[in-house]
Amino acid sequence: MADYACLIIEDSPMMRQLLVFALARIRNLRVTEADDGVDGLRKLAGARFDIIVTDINMPIMDGLKLIRRVRTDPVHKETPIIVITTEGAEEDRHRALQLGANAYITKPIQAPQVIAKVKELLRIS
Amino acid sequence: MTERKSRPPKSRRDPAATSLDHERDAFIQTFIRKGVRLTQELVRENEDLRRRLSEAESENAQLKIHLRRDDAVRELLSTIEKLEQEKSALLSRFREVEARSNAFEETYSEVEAELSNLASLYVAARQIHATVTVPGVMRHLKEILEQLVGARAYAVYLRSERGGDLVPVFHQGMSDRDVRNVRPGEGVIGEAFANGTGYVSEDDTITEGTFEAPAAAIPLRIDDRVVGVLAVFQTFEQKRRFMSVDFEFFKLLGGQAAAALAAAGLLAAADGKLPSAEFYVELGI
Repeated sequence: MADYACLIIEDSPMMRQLLVFALARIRNLRVTEADDGVDGLRKLAGARFDIIVTDINMPIMDGLKLIRRVRTDPVHKETPIIVITTEGAEEDRHRALQLGANAYITKPIQAPQVIAKVKELLRIS
Repeated sequence: MTERKSRPPKSRRDPAATSLDHERDAFIQTFIRKGVRLTQELVRENEDLRRRLSEAESENAQLKIHLRRDDAVRELLSTIEKLEQEKSALLSRFREVEARSNAFEETYSEVEAELSNLASLYVAARQIHATVTVPGVMRHLKEILEQLVGARAYAVYLRSERGGDLVPVFHQGMSDRDVRNVRPGEGVIGEAFANGTGYVSEDDTITEGTFEAPAAAIPLRIDDRVVGVLAVFQTFEQKRRFMSVDFEFFKLLGGQAAAALAAAGLLAAADGKLPSAEFYVELGI
């Protein structure tokens, strides 16, 4: 049984696949995928997650709106959120962190960097 | 009574004899005094000798203790020296292990990075042929370029049948006005097509590339035939330089993107009708 549950919210199937590949290297981490913010919220309502990895630019509901909603959810308001996006500008980073994201990683990603950040936020050695 | 009888009365004694008696008494007194003094001196000397003997014994005992202590110190020093040697050997071994561990960690990181790159290449290769519709291929191409390469502005050029110019069939991040037709051999894009040789900037100015000075121009091939060019004009601001994996992406796209586009284009031209089994049989492969 997995010790930790991670929700990946990303509209690009290719990126989702890459993130799943990367996070599969962390033992005892179960990964669930959602393809946009609304799907993400639906999955968050049905289960408890220990960490959320989300994109910013997504159809229907973007990552920033999702962060706002998660931070008011009593179950997940403390859950670490990692933003993975192509938006590299400092103001985008600042905005995401101000809304409650715990980390901000820009694409193209390097799997070891994502793995390290997830481990750090889950306090896995 | 007897004594009284034997001693004659004083008045009647001979003065010489009396003097002799005195001398004798004085001598005896002197002798006794000297004897006493000598005895006292001997006693003192004896006491002194005893004291010195005791002191010598005590000193001897102290010396023995010191000697024993010196032996212990010598032993201790020898043990310390041995321990120092052991410590030095252990430190040297520790440094060796540490160096090996660092080398291992470095190799591990390299392997992890390589694995990550291979995973990206695998996903990209899978995605590019995952669809046979032109918009689907373009969407996947866009995802690969933006999400994996970090391209912000780019265009796909294919050779036109009319006039032979390179025509941008798809572009992103640049206005229509900025992306115009290119003659083969003209500029970086035209040269990449004419020579079949790709251009990839090694500068850290790829975030600010232009139509005239793109960040990369990759010939698109079907088999050995160059049919177009993939031009990357600019990258996202966090992508300051192309890395080794990007060259692999360019190789992959150069060899696969045109084939995927051609297959999707042919299928679209045939109104989505797939070739039948007979078609392949008639080819006589």
